[in-house]
Amino acid sequence: MAHPERKAQRSLQRLVGATLCPVEVVDNLDALLALVDEHTIAIVDAGLANTRPNLRDKAARAWIAVPGEGLAPAEAPIVEALLTAGWSHVVAHPMPILAEELLATVQKVIRGDTFGLEKYIAWGAEIRSYTLEDARDREAAVTALAKDVVAVGLPDRVGSLVSVIADELLANALYAAPVDEEGKRFRRAEPRDRSRPLTGREVVTVRWATDARYLAIEVRDRWGTLDASGVGARLAAGGKQANASTEGGMGLPLAYACCNQFVIGTAPGVLTEVITLLDVRYKPTELGRSASFHSFAGTFGETP
Amino acid sequence: MKIGRLDAEVHGARLVLAGRIDDAAGMLGDLLGHLPAGDVVIDTSGVTFVNSIGMREWMRLVRALRERGAVTLERVADVLMTQMNLIPEFKGVAIASFHAQYVCPSCGNEATPLLDVATHGAQLRQMTAPKLPCPECGSAMDLGDFPERYLSLFRA
Repeated sequence: MAHPERKAQRSLQRLVGATLCPVEVVDNLDALLALVDEHTIAIVDAGLANTRPNLRDKAARAWIAVPGEGLAPAEAPIVEALLTAGWSHVVAHPMPILAEELLATVQKVIRGDTFGLEKYIAWGAEIRSYTLEDARDREAAVTALAKDVVAVGLPDRVGSLVSVIADELLANALYAAPVDEEGKRFRRAEPRDRSRPLTGREVVTVRWATDARYLAIEVRDRWGTLDASGVGARLAAGGKQANASTEGGMGLPLAYACCNQFVIGTAPGVLTEVITLLDVRYKPTELGRSASFHSFAGTFGETP
Repeated sequence: MKIGRLDAEVHGARLVLAGRIDDAAGMLGDLLGHLPAGDVVIDTSGVTFVNSIGMREWMRLVRALRERGAVTLERVADVLMTQMNLIPEFKGVAIASFHAQYVCPSCGNEATPLLDVATHGAQLRQMTAPKLPCPECGSAMDLGDFPERYLSLFRA
């Protein structure tokens, strides 16, 4: 791990040390690069990383950027720059979110256990699941989810954010994920009011849970076609590239803008899972202005 | 008039929208034919939901109306305001007033009061949200989110 501040080094060392993996700590990038090989999980102060964003080109098990000075929230322009440069893991938030997020991220990488919102929610929280039976069920599922979220005592503001996030993730799973044999996204232009029974690979599920720290929403499709390599840059660009003449393209950036952590898991050709986490403990201004981003590749079940 | 899940009322050069701007808002452009050429005012305080497809249709409508005259947005809904602030194209659209998420530090109340741009314009251009009285306890409420989410369109 590379971080210029001794106090931050200690905090991060304790955190990552909880995995019982050996941790080496340095204070500059040259020293880090001398240590990194394809087995290493490299954790870097985001400000340092932004001075050399192509750092991540060196083969490693994972490159993870973490907040810089005093482990305060990472600055939004730095998060955006790292996402644009293709970083797969950028932690934006201060402690204690940093601790929870970093440990889950490192363990997912170490164990190769990529999927499931359970990794972010405290044991004991009930998980509610909906399986869409028809593409037209999207609105009903979103409405039910938002209603359930408010019913457990979360504010209307959270219900409103949940509506947008779930709607966009479900639309992505229903209309952007399916590909034909040539890789063409054949449902992208399909009318959204058309009935389509969802069976086999067309099945889409949404799950959610809250433990009064986070509200987690997970949407899965069975296509595994999300291009994880380019999605960070799309999220960073956000609405800057929005154009009334183009079709779609704003859905995932909008979901990203509404959450605090955006986590993608892909098993190519098998499954795409997007988990969004809303921190319900803190005022939005006490967190990072940009959401954290994580992209994992893994395997899931049997190939279709 | 009903456009998808959106209710639209036209009163002269004034358009009032309420409901959802979503995938079913593809006919939003039809409103052009119901509005007089020239300057228009749009009130969106009743809008409850906007998704990315709805935002695209909203952009198309506003763009087309701006080609015919000035567009003034009044009482812009919270959900619409945060999304418009993600999109630079909306910078320069006249906004007379908008709703924003406020939180009371004293009693924890959350509300979406209406901010009048003429009254608070100087502050808004400095990316500073004014404090507003809490409707429950009377204390000063703060903007409950980052100023960039609501005020980027006003940035000087």
